[in-house]
Amino acid sequence: MDSHAPLYRDTDLVLSVESVTKSFDGFRAINDLNFYLGEGELRTIIGPNGAGKSTFMDLITGRTRPDEGTLTYHQDDGHDLDLTKMREYEVNRLGIARKFQTPSVYTQHTVYENFVLSLNRNRGVLKTLFYKETAADREEIEEVLELTRLADRRHELAGSLSHGQKQWLEIGMLLAQRPRILLVDEPAAGMSDEETERTAELLIGLRGKHSIMVIEHDMVFIRQIAKKVTVLHQGHVLKEGTFSDVANDPVVKEVYLGRSKHEDAA
Amino acid sequence: MNLSAVRQLFTLALLFAIGASISETAHADEAGTRALLVEIVHADGDDARQQLAMEGLAEEGDPIIGTFYEAYRSGNIFIKKVASSDSPLVLMKDNKDYTNLLTGESVTPSDELKPSRAGRGLRKDLKRLVDLLDLSSPDLEKRIAAADLLGKSQNPEYLPELKARLDKQTDEKVARAFREAIYICELKSGSDTEKLAAVKALGEMKSLPAKGFLETVAKEYETSTEPGARALRESTRKAIREIDDYQKIVGHIGTLFRGLSLGSVLLLVAYGLAITFGQMGVINMAHGEFIAIGGYTVYLIQNYFVNTFGVGSSAYEWYFVLSLPCAFLAAALAGALLEKGMIRFLYSRPLESLLATWGVSMILQQLFRLQFGAANVSVSAPQWLSGSYSFGGVSMSYSRIFLVAFAFLVIIVTWLLMNRTSWGLHVRATMQNRQMASSLGVPSGRVNMLTFAYGSGLAGLAGAFISQIGNVGPSMGQTYIVDSFMVVVVGGVGNLFGAALSSLGIGMVDQWLQPILGPVMGKISVLITIILFLQFKPGGLFPSRSRSLDD
Amino acid sequence: MNRLLPVDNKAEGAVFIGLLILIAALPILNAFVPEGNALHVSSFQLSVWGKYLCYAVLAMSLNVLWGYTGLLCLGQCLFFALGGYAFGMYLMLMIGELGAYKSTLPDFMVFLGYTELPAHWKPFYNPFFAVAAALLVPGLVAFIFGVLAFRSRIKGVYFSILTQALTYAAALLFFRNDFTFGGNNGFTDFKFIFGADIRSDGTARGLFIASGALLIGVYWLVAWLLQTKFGKIQKAIRDSENRVRFSGYSTTHFKVFIFVLSAMIAGMAGALFVPQAGIINPGEMWPTKGLDIVVWVAVGGRGTKIGPIIGAVLVNMLKSWSTKAYPDTWLIILGFLFVFVVLFMPNGIVGLWAQGKAFLARRKSKTSPADTGSTDDTEAPGEIEKATS
Repeated sequence: MDSHAPLYRDTDLVLSVESVTKSFDGFRAINDLNFYLGEGELRTIIGPNGAGKSTFMDLITGRTRPDEGTLTYHQDDGHDLDLTKMREYEVNRLGIARKFQTPSVYTQHTVYENFVLSLNRNRGVLKTLFYKETAADREEIEEVLELTRLADRRHELAGSLSHGQKQWLEIGMLLAQRPRILLVDEPAAGMSDEETERTAELLIGLRGKHSIMVIEHDMVFIRQIAKKVTVLHQGHVLKEGTFSDVANDPVVKEVYLGRSKHEDAA
Repeated sequence: MNLSAVRQLFTLALLFAIGASISETAHADEAGTRALLVEIVHADGDDARQQLAMEGLAEEGDPIIGTFYEAYRSGNIFIKKVASSDSPLVLMKDNKDYTNLLTGESVTPSDELKPSRAGRGLRKDLKRLVDLLDLSSPDLEKRIAAADLLGKSQNPEYLPELKARLDKQTDEKVARAFREAIYICELKSGSDTEKLAAVKALGEMKSLPAKGFLETVAKEYETSTEPGARALRESTRKAIREIDDYQKIVGHIGTLFRGLSLGSVLLLVAYGLAITFGQMGVINMAHGEFIAIGGYTVYLIQNYFVNTFGVGSSAYEWYFVLSLPCAFLAAALAGALLEKGMIRFLYSRPLESLLATWGVSMILQQLFRLQFGAANVSVSAPQWLSGSYSFGGVSMSYSRIFLVAFAFLVIIVTWLLMNRTSWGLHVRATMQNRQMASSLGVPSGRVNMLTFAYGSGLAGLAGAFISQIGNVGPSMGQTYIVDSFMVVVVGGVGNLFGAALSSLGIGMVDQWLQPILGPVMGKISVLITIILFLQFKPGGLFPSRSRSLDD
Repeated sequence: MNRLLPVDNKAEGAVFIGLLILIAALPILNAFVPEGNALHVSSFQLSVWGKYLCYAVLAMSLNVLWGYTGLLCLGQCLFFALGGYAFGMYLMLMIGELGAYKSTLPDFMVFLGYTELPAHWKPFYNPFFAVAAALLVPGLVAFIFGVLAFRSRIKGVYFSILTQALTYAAALLFFRNDFTFGGNNGFTDFKFIFGADIRSDGTARGLFIASGALLIGVYWLVAWLLQTKFGKIQKAIRDSENRVRFSGYSTTHFKVFIFVLSAMIAGMAGALFVPQAGIINPGEMWPTKGLDIVVWVAVGGRGTKIGPIIGAVLVNMLKSWSTKAYPDTWLIILGFLFVFVVLFMPNGIVGLWAQGKAFLARRKSKTSPADTGSTDDTEAPGEIEKATS
């Protein structure tokens, strides 16, 4: 939709999604979607179940290919890349990292090893065969260990961590990739209030260093982190604006917030 | 006149009386035939008497005439003087055993055997008689075969016999066979006009056996400049073309049908797998052995019927009908036991269910070997399933037709079970989310067991049908199991409609490729095609939407 | 990891050292202890053990795939047989004119009416070409199949079923007479290897030592691989392939690499197996053989370095003993053993120790059953994503 473009004319964009459509067996999961993500921005995406939020992330990361439309990644050096032709690992190597809904970490590896495998270098087959850990690698890992408060559990198997810690570990693994764009799918799911609070702090702290897209349901959490919110409905952008703009929009209330408030109350 | 001679004459007289009223379908009386044959031997030298007996014989259709003719020709008919004044016995030698030609009882030969040989004329007459024997057979199939044979011999001698009998044929198929035979004969011996008519008629009949003879005619008249040769040449070519076209159609239909029947076997096997593998996520390597359970159930029931009722009895005809539910139940029971005893512990570990059931497969195969022997056991088809239905040159065996029909029945029944019963609802719910279903009150333990039993039962049914068209042996299931897994994967795991479509498709492709590439290369091509197919559609024809399957 | 011995713990070390002693001792007992002495090892026994060692290598090749990367290949026997056939071609040519037909062509070719050696046979006069082929042919087949399968994300059971189909197709092909590999009967009646009589004691010792060296070499290779970053990626693919992919690794490349490597190891094992077994035929690549190998690995303990070796040797010893002792029921015994192992020993023989300890600990503490050390969850994908949010 043209109306969205002017918002970002003066900002550097990292990602442009234009007129993207994707159907599964006749069901339009994504319907003429237009979306722009600015450099260093922290964007929250909300929407009722089935709005196409995860499919949207699948499309960006090369997990699914769109039927129509373009997904463009704007590189630092000014060159644009078409994401629709790339495989997941290629997209990832551009600096687009993704956290899944359910924590996905290497349960049979230690926390430290999880981070080693997430560093953004030596990712070819032969390079991994003859990889030697460098001082720089260790430093980076220590940094992330501190950030995610997992330093004292570095030698434990990731499988033995609590759910919240696994979420943090995965976020840490994303950070170890030094990404330009962070796609974070429901980071607060299954966390205690305190953990949620800390996660919000972490994400806010990352703003400016990375462009971040967060999918969340937890309204308290969203209120805490959100600067700009995009509402997806039936695979289409319904509304975009500040949290209060969105929260006070009657249409949004009807399709999403009304229902969500209801659910939250229950 | 002594007593024995009186009896003989009496029999003869009786026979003539009956002979006069014998209709073409009347059943031949073996005793009467034997009496006539004995008369012929005794009447050696008396042409008139022999002629009379021959005429009587001509009305008979008993196969003993053929045996006699062979023996007479090769000098294995003997006359044994009897001490009393009885007329001498006529003995027939078969290998080393002698039988009384009149009674068929075996006899110990004495030294005073006098060989009896037929004269040339008699031999010729007998030969003709034997050749024409089956033309009057009460068995219509035999009659058709005989006409076919005589036609192919193109011997003009038989032409009048065939023509004389043509009018009496009431059955359309038999009449067609007679006409075909007459026309083929005429292609060689008829006048040009007769030939032309025969060529046209054969072309219209789309007679496949006539093709070779027509080609001979075409060659014969290739360069001939005689008047009428041109017309004949052209009609012959036209007839051959017509037959060729028809032959192609017949070939395609035959391939189609064979593909359909192979597809139906695959469908029965794969449907069971699609249910256990697709719906439940269990790789049952012992599925093939459930097929064997079905096959052996049929074998056991067959044996029971043979021992209890005898092979010829009408009860025997029903054994296969009874074995179908039994095969289903036997395999279903085995499946239920396997599910209860082992598989339910392995639902979250698909690869390990594969390994454990492989162990079961080994055990079952060896048990079959110990119980029934390593060789295949023989299962015979009941009368109503043997033979085949011929339709304009396409011959389809009854057992295969029945199989195809039954496969469709299974599709329908399974669909109804899955979509119209509460059990089906439970199965689908359990398949989508096992934990959710059971917490919503679906008795998932029982649903799993019944689903698994149903899938296994279908394998048993497949085995029952394979017993009719293939072999029953300890490793019979292995023949189909790899193909069936392919069917499920190609169809899209968890999709029964896809499994049905892909089994028929794979069956057809297999049967279509086999004549072109040979059986082995055909099979390999099918496998390679499948692997390539999965390149483009990794989820099969109808990929499952459930994400837990592909991740 | 121990620097000198590629072992992780004492038990593994003990087995490994035992293995080294066995490999060193058997040829010595064969060569220097006179016949008749209780300690004498006949050349026949030596070749039997040589075959076991080849099977152990084969099991290790599967373990690299299945145990560490989670790819259950049911066609490992195909690579083994391809290696065997490649080296068998050399052995067939070395028969020379000593065959039944006194021809330079292998007997089956004379029988089938060949007058000249097919072109693709000619280079196999050179034993080194044959050894190279035993490595490269399985590797090439694995490469082509692997690229096709992994590129289109075929995995889990689907991968297993397809590898079985591949093996089945190949076996059918090799059963054909006109495929120029001896059809049903395959290759047999070998006479010479590297100029030596294949039946001599010296050859038996040489082949045994070669098998032992291969085993140790492969063991070292596997141990080395495991402690590299590559090895860690392998396990990571097994546990959470999507995470690996979304960390910038092409899992397809990794899987193809490991598949090819595993096929080449299996091919080497096959090449050494054939001269010791004295025969190779398409039965060796029949789908059931592929499942046999899975049995060995599962019994010994998959995902462990020593497990596949123990499994392959023990199951094959059990097999050769029970085929003689219980010719009718040995398959049943083996089948039950297998079901038992899958149901009650998910980590195989090697895992028994830990399993026993966990069991005792549970009995002592009587707390809720903690699933420490259980590998059950390695089977289930680490990330089961829910459908669209």
